[in-house]
Amino acid sequence: MKINADTAVCVASGQCALLVPAVFDQRDDDGIVVVRNEEPPPEQHDAVRQAVLICPSGALRLVE
Amino acid sequence: MTSTANPRLPFDRRNALDVAPLYETLRREGPLVRVTTPAGDPAWLVTSFEAVREVFRDNRFGRSHPAPEQAARISYAALQEGPSGDFETEERDHKRLRRMLAPAFSAPRMRRLGDRIQELTNGCLDDMRAAADARRGEPVDVQELLAFPLPVLVICELLGVPYADRALFSDFSDRISEFDGGADAQAAMAEFAAYTGGLAVAKRTNPGPDVISDLVAMQADDPTFTDLDLAQLAAGLLFAGHETTSTRIALGVLFLLSDTSRRDRFVADPEAQVDATVEEILRMSATGGTGLLRYAHEDVEVCGVSIARGDAVLVAIDSANRDASAFTAPDEFDPGRKPNVHMAFGYGAHVCIGANLARTELRVVFPSLFRRFPGLRLAVDVDDIEMRPNRVAGGVVAVPVVW
Repeated sequence: MKINADTAVCVASGQCALLVPAVFDQRDDDGIVVVRNEEPPPEQHDAVRQAVLICPSGALRLVE
Repeated sequence: MTSTANPRLPFDRRNALDVAPLYETLRREGPLVRVTTPAGDPAWLVTSFEAVREVFRDNRFGRSHPAPEQAARISYAALQEGPSGDFETEERDHKRLRRMLAPAFSAPRMRRLGDRIQELTNGCLDDMRAAADARRGEPVDVQELLAFPLPVLVICELLGVPYADRALFSDFSDRISEFDGGADAQAAMAEFAAYTGGLAVAKRTNPGPDVISDLVAMQADDPTFTDLDLAQLAAGLLFAGHETTSTRIALGVLFLLSDTSRRDRFVADPEAQVDATVEEILRMSATGGTGLLRYAHEDVEVCGVSIARGDAVLVAIDSANRDASAFTAPDEFDPGRKPNVHMAFGYGAHVCIGANLARTELRVVFPSLFRRFPGLRLAVDVDDIEMRPNRVAGGVVAVPVVW
């Protein structure tokens, strides 16, 4: 699994960063998504998929 | 106007946990249908999950109107009653606002707030026990002792608003959100902005570690962000920060208590179930209002329906979250639902900025409540819980419980 985050599309809602803090963070100055681990380990795949589904901007994409 | 034959919002419903049955009928008629607003004007109601998502993510819908004086009016409340903002600059203004606020409500910030929310929750639960002791087993009210004070305590600390003023801003909130409030709603909105404006003035000389102080500091670098903008924004945050979460706590308690097997299942291991349970509470909680307001900024086709420039569009989250094409057995409370991709916080560029705050509060409150009072039960039938109809944010009057 590889995560692709489009920071130009992100609206900084941070729902991904609340759900999977090991994988997603937010920039301090504007809240835009930061992917901490673009290729998360299998035990986080379920949570990452959920984060992509609830992302309100469509900024997150998965390549599996 | 020829809108008299169309159903008029808000729709009737049986009790605080159900949505209006009319939504299901209207979803069968179409993803967008014609309705009459509480003010008597025509509007589109967006009923299906797919169409709700599409409208939310389409930036051709906004809160401003190309010709505001001709816009359909929604109600005589002082929020979501009609167009707001400047048609020419709305998108830019909104982006600026989000950029100002997003860091204050970020996931890391909310996580750091968790311990404090736990302390405040414990205090509310102590008050519940003290009230029950004082009343010698008579019911106590979850709304009065937990669902109202907890979100208010949290948002007060976050924004830098004195908790002692809660009766004052709770009164403003109540009055601005009444559909037929009229002149009183407008007066309350002016009083609300005068109140938060006064706080901003004080923070200009004495800033604190809070959001209103942050906004005051940012205002210094952006002269186009006026004192009134700041005051109205602070009032909006104060309103949204307590009304909405308060209602979800009250409805969450009702969902868990209206069927004791639900409660027992949750009590068996609250921490393991809380995240999914909170999502299901969010999905099912209905406000019974009009839905969120947008105006079409140009002619738009949504799910095969043509919307004309300037038309009012009411986005029915209550309906989308009960759409059988998106959720299996949508009217069943099922904390095991997976995935549970609901629209409770909206979607797209205007998605609720307090989503992480709300989730953080709700994830603390339910395990704490049911660890402290595992035998909690409703003192009245769900059908007898009095709703607050005719209000933008919905809600219930009281949730009497015993244990």
